[in-house]
Amino acid sequence: MSPAVVSTIVGKDLKEFRADRFFLLITGLSVVFYPLIFWLLPATVDETLRVGVVQRGLDPVVTAVAEGSDGLAVVELADQTALEQALLSGEGDLVAGLVFPDDFVAAAAFGEKTQVTVLVTADVPPEVETALSALAGELALLALGEPPPSDLLAEPVVLGNDLVGDQVSLREQLRPLLAFFVLMTETFALATLVAAEIQTRTVTAVLVTPATRTDFLAAKGVVGTGVAFTEAALIMALIGGFATGAPILVVALLLGAGLVTGIGMVAGSFGRDFMTVLFTSILIMIPLMIPAFSALFPGTANAWVQVLPTYGFVQTVVEVTTAGAGWSDVAPDLLLLAGWTMAAFAAGWVVLGRRVATL
Amino acid sequence: MNLRQAGNVLAKDLRLGPRSPVFLWVLALPIVFTFLITAVFGDLFAPPARLAVVDEGSSRITAALQQVDGIEVTVLDDSDAMTAAVEAHDYDAGLLLPAGTDEALASGQQTELELLVSGQSLASTRLVIGVTTLDELRAVAGSSPPVEVVVTTVGDQGWVPVEDRLLPFIVMYAVVIAGLFLPASSMVEERERRTLDALLITPVRMSEVLVGKGALGVILAVMMGWVTLALNGAFGSQPLAMTLFLLLGGVMMAELGLVVGSWAKDSNTLFTTVKGGALLVVAPVLFTLFPGLPQWIAQLFPTYYFLQPIYDMAVTGTTFSDHLVDLAACVAICLALIPAVSAMGRRLEQQMAATV
Repeated sequence: MSPAVVSTIVGKDLKEFRADRFFLLITGLSVVFYPLIFWLLPATVDETLRVGVVQRGLDPVVTAVAEGSDGLAVVELADQTALEQALLSGEGDLVAGLVFPDDFVAAAAFGEKTQVTVLVTADVPPEVETALSALAGELALLALGEPPPSDLLAEPVVLGNDLVGDQVSLREQLRPLLAFFVLMTETFALATLVAAEIQTRTVTAVLVTPATRTDFLAAKGVVGTGVAFTEAALIMALIGGFATGAPILVVALLLGAGLVTGIGMVAGSFGRDFMTVLFTSILIMIPLMIPAFSALFPGTANAWVQVLPTYGFVQTVVEVTTAGAGWSDVAPDLLLLAGWTMAAFAAGWVVLGRRVATL
Repeated sequence: MNLRQAGNVLAKDLRLGPRSPVFLWVLALPIVFTFLITAVFGDLFAPPARLAVVDEGSSRITAALQQVDGIEVTVLDDSDAMTAAVEAHDYDAGLLLPAGTDEALASGQQTELELLVSGQSLASTRLVIGVTTLDELRAVAGSSPPVEVVVTTVGDQGWVPVEDRLLPFIVMYAVVIAGLFLPASSMVEERERRTLDALLITPVRMSEVLVGKGALGVILAVMMGWVTLALNGAFGSQPLAMTLFLLLGGVMMAELGLVVGSWAKDSNTLFTTVKGGALLVVAPVLFTLFPGLPQWIAQLFPTYYFLQPIYDMAVTGTTFSDHLVDLAACVAICLALIPAVSAMGRRLEQQMAATV
């Protein structure tokens, strides 16, 4: 393999990338829209239920319950009309309200049943509605001096790092997905380039020069990995992804770029024309997207998701950017990713090499 | 124009179409998107509270919690497995109910119960699970509160859940891919492979080619529109009216597809144009998804006039007579596009004649 020949082919390929309108458009859109979407998303998670309360004589109970719970904020209002107006206008971000009758304490003391109104807006989820109804009853019982039958709420056992007040926002959850999308775009770009070379048979023209098949394949690997890495790193920088664990992320992006390059070489080898390349690339991309989407949801990914080639990449980015993980924490994921990258690259090398040999 | 010749072109495309990846795309992707959007994104925007319960004594509390709307209750056998799952945030919380819990509560004893919460669960979710569980404990203990709780909804009663607001996106995707992209890519493919030249040597005229390819787009757009509406259970009480709007949407998209397909010189240019112009087609969907945006802006986009009636009839229960203005607008847009299709067809014919 001759480095000079490889660099000449790389230069030619980069020139072709610059001349490709489709590639330029999706690159431009990615660079503008992905960071735009990222920065427009909320940076914090609102995990508090703000409830308006109208009551007389229940101050100690209401205050005690509100102070004892991180997820509840109580706003006192003068009457039901004021509460309804606050709910309708969105003032104070109230999601619901509790209206106790003025004679509640006196009636309860005589054992009389009174009516408590729970006001909810139409978008309140059913479980919140149920919980607020239960809360109204609980406040009433506490006001009568009836303690709860269990200290369930007072002493919950928190497992793992308690993230209350410091939850991972949707913006941060989206970060690996955006980085991944950029890499996937490059799969398609490289596949198109390879397919065009095969379709127009420029590869045979290249191979009658001193360039060998190894030079050709190495150049495709360098171009694919280089372009994918550069764009993904640029997007990561624009969305503030390198704030923590930058060296780990650079390694993950490089391995991810190698992975998509191998896939792009395979997809390009099968491509007879633009549409076939598009279809083949999307067919490959859909299963590879699953780990990135599963990262948006809480909990452990299913076992079959964990064996997908992109799982190691997504997991590394998630753990480093949201939990500040170090090298030892992500080593298994990086090793898995490295294994898949080598496999994909080898597959790309063999498949494209054979395709070129048959021309 | 000879409709029989146009029918021959349509028959040829129907026969050869399934060999094209775009054809498979048209059939498969709307179904995949329906699954992704309804199953995945519905939960993403409105995640339920997830509670794991280890019940060592067939407690009534477990059965009662399983009936609560909005809380997903999973019964596990092993408390260690529950602890590990809660720590991994597979559940927001875990509740261990030892044998004899119901009896202890009923006898008025203060009962030691353990509520495990995941460090990653939201404070509001912890509160919801905790208070709801406490309410069920009170019920088993027989200490019902001295209040009658009445729930009243205030404000917009017509609020639509986010998974329903995604319906126009799914329908739009099905209609656009089939109606717009299929005829456009078919035109470009025929030019790239020079089969269009061969076709035009026969008695078939360009107008008949355009009608045949457009008809294929319309048929598949309506068919895939039906499939997506059926998969989403959205036909409601107005299936005929919805079909009419799907048909007009299919015609509108097919006309746009023929314009773009006649203009684009290769697949690359076509895809770039479709991607670049996607916002114009997709824009009305964004206004349904985010009802807080000024809704009049959506009416500036042609796709609004077939998507909005379908959405309204499926989700808010409007009837055909409520959408006569939209119908008129749809028809007007479809008619206005005919000269554009015709002009692009003539231009293409001239270009091909010049290159022969």
